[in-house]
Amino acid sequence: MKRRAFLKLVGLSVLFHHWLLRGVSAAQGPVVAVAEGKDYARVTRNAIAALGGMGRFVKKGDLVVVKPNMGWDRTSEQAANSNPVVVRAVVEEALRAGARKVKVFDRSCNDERRCYVNSGMAAALKGMKNVELKYIETERFRKVALKGKALSEWELYDEALDANVFINVPVAKHHGLTKLTLGLKNVMGVMGGNRGSIHKHIDEALADVNSVLKSHLVVIDATRVLVAHGPQGGSLADVKFLNKVIASSDIVAADAYATTLFGHRPEDISVTVAAHRRGLGEMDLKKVRIVRA
Amino acid sequence: MKKITSARVSQLLFLLAFLVLFVRTEYRGSDTISAAINSFFRADPLVALSYLAATRSFTWLLFPALLTALFTVILGRFFCGWICPLGTVLDLITVRIKKSAPIRLLRGNLKYWLLLPILSCSIFQLNLSGLLDPIAILVRALTFFFYPLFGDAARSSWVELYRLLGERRDLLAPAFGLLRDHLLPFRETFYPLAFLSAVMFLAILFLERYESRNWCRNLCPLGTLLGLLGRFSPLKRAPSKLCGDCQACRSLCPTSFDADLLQKEECILCLECQRACPKDRVRFSFARPGSDGRDFLPERRVLLGGLLTGVFLAGSFRFRRPEAQSRLLRPPGVKGEGEFLEKCVRCGECMKVCLRGALYPAIAQAGVVGVFTPVLTPRLGYCEYNCTLCGQVCPTGAIPNLPVPEKRRAVIGKAVFDKNHCLPYARKTNCIVCEEHCPIPQKAIRSELVEEIGLDGKRIRLQKPYLVEELCNGCGICENVCPLEGKSGVEVFAVKDKTPLQESASVAEQEKGGGAEDPYR
Repeated sequence: MKRRAFLKLVGLSVLFHHWLLRGVSAAQGPVVAVAEGKDYARVTRNAIAALGGMGRFVKKGDLVVVKPNMGWDRTSEQAANSNPVVVRAVVEEALRAGARKVKVFDRSCNDERRCYVNSGMAAALKGMKNVELKYIETERFRKVALKGKALSEWELYDEALDANVFINVPVAKHHGLTKLTLGLKNVMGVMGGNRGSIHKHIDEALADVNSVLKSHLVVIDATRVLVAHGPQGGSLADVKFLNKVIASSDIVAADAYATTLFGHRPEDISVTVAAHRRGLGEMDLKKVRIVRA
Repeated sequence: MKKITSARVSQLLFLLAFLVLFVRTEYRGSDTISAAINSFFRADPLVALSYLAATRSFTWLLFPALLTALFTVILGRFFCGWICPLGTVLDLITVRIKKSAPIRLLRGNLKYWLLLPILSCSIFQLNLSGLLDPIAILVRALTFFFYPLFGDAARSSWVELYRLLGERRDLLAPAFGLLRDHLLPFRETFYPLAFLSAVMFLAILFLERYESRNWCRNLCPLGTLLGLLGRFSPLKRAPSKLCGDCQACRSLCPTSFDADLLQKEECILCLECQRACPKDRVRFSFARPGSDGRDFLPERRVLLGGLLTGVFLAGSFRFRRPEAQSRLLRPPGVKGEGEFLEKCVRCGECMKVCLRGALYPAIAQAGVVGVFTPVLTPRLGYCEYNCTLCGQVCPTGAIPNLPVPEKRRAVIGKAVFDKNHCLPYARKTNCIVCEEHCPIPQKAIRSELVEEIGLDGKRIRLQKPYLVEELCNGCGICENVCPLEGKSGVEVFAVKDKTPLQESASVAEQEKGGGAEDPYR
């Protein structure tokens, strides 16, 4: 065989192979694992296991970022921040899969020192080896070209961009503007600058950011959720126990499923709709394979 | 090497304690600050006396000051030579400064012209003691000038290291973390009046060019007050005069041997004369208290004049511009402006400790008499809902030390929307960042969903924010986070009626299943 012909063949086969694989996965649709129970650490592990285990996402020696929501000076019971038990379980799984280091951070809305402590995250991760719970350092924000519909560029956190694996661990809760805040919106925690100003076109802006900063794995904490007065809550009267953890590698599908737990339809959440339209994932739950764990 | 006296050991220990407490007057991971720099003010008789005169009431917070006063009556001005951190700083640097002749102007009665007006102002409910209190001057210089500078320098170097090393900087991160958590200010806050605060302190150092302890003996109102209290103390030096054959005390004594006779009210008990006496004659011992034959106050007209100046001062600087007044937001829990001015020492501790860098010293907002008093400036920082630190460190309780649930309900002011700026009103775009951040569980800021014709002529759904005044505590987070650049679309204004929010607005009540009725729904 001539060298040129060989190259052509290889090239074509690569293309074909890629297309074939995509076809296969499209036929199956994305998987959303839903685990339920009172032992939240186990529930979290079960959800990840149902996706095929953390080993599917984290390889030996990887640098992993786990991005919970710990934006508010609220206690864990008040359900404004991701459940520290869930976060710890995710971190442990990542370490077990061989992660070199796991970094946990969030650009908080209230004072970061209080948020990190009051959310329970500092206590939950205390003493873990190769785990870093650090405050955001402004010098680490890097201007990134998004070339999106709403945002042409924005400052994103370099540690999130540079990680081998970005694991998004939002808490599912009510939000005044977007109705719910889930995985797509949790990514705001790695945005620098005047984040408030994106609220005027938040659905497209979030799609812009999410199309550049991809969440390899989304683990939605729905162990206890805020059903009103979100995203901050503060009253236990607004907290509802769902005892669920949702995991998926498709952020839109995970959000879409979580939406149904609040009695909304995925189409009601403009952030989800925009992300789906932009090709970030599947929001039609009929096309999603839901695995109970 | 020079022998170290016990006075010097005590001075150094208190200076160290002062610096440690200063650094600890900051949120360092715990909701309560057990010991803060306020201890020094609580043991300060000048602060206590002006508080007593202004409020005509006593607070146990200032009990240590009574002890200091009592010991001063027995011992004399030991505070100045053994405790006062400003005095220690002066002693440490003065040996390196060459002296020229004393300034004539400072000699004599000037110190009474400072102390007496301050005390007489207090009687007229205006507490100015903190302006010239030596510890307040020192704390302010550190808080507003030196500490932020130090913090900024450390942080910029840290950032610079990132530019140089990139990710490899992480190797040093634990060291920097320690420094940040235990020594540095957490935020880079820059204060107005930083320059003035530094100048006041540096001027005191500069005065050392003319004679040692120049400030302490000729100006310091606290020292003057302690001098009056200790004037007839039974602890006496013998001999009370310079000895004809030696006169070494004239150069040994840092404060009081200009005349041949020991000036009792200026002796700071450093015991230097006893230690260094070539003839080993000097003794300090208790003797029958009694006058040394000199007048207690130098002249009657100084007394009358000093008191009258206070009346004049208290009366003539009370003008306040109403525009500035409307934004005069005091720290949480402060009820009335009058009461606040009676109690505030202007020490700057609340501003140092403020978690979000929300408190700044007033320049002119509170009138001339309110200079250095704390003002909440929401555009720069807001009052953190669960934080009670300013009340904890306030030495006099001018900012009451409230338990967390009460502090959450304490009213600082009330937010008002400016529909000419607020995005949903002025530009017909959605926003709601203020509602999102409002910390009140039932939300003092809410929004109504309305259908409108947008600026482009299309039908749009807009969430328009409004305020539920009964629930707003004026913490200022809405104004702080408003994404508009420059002027915020929602601003907090001062209110006269600072009745705390109703119990039902607190979380505790909610947990019992109660809850405030929304009067608008």
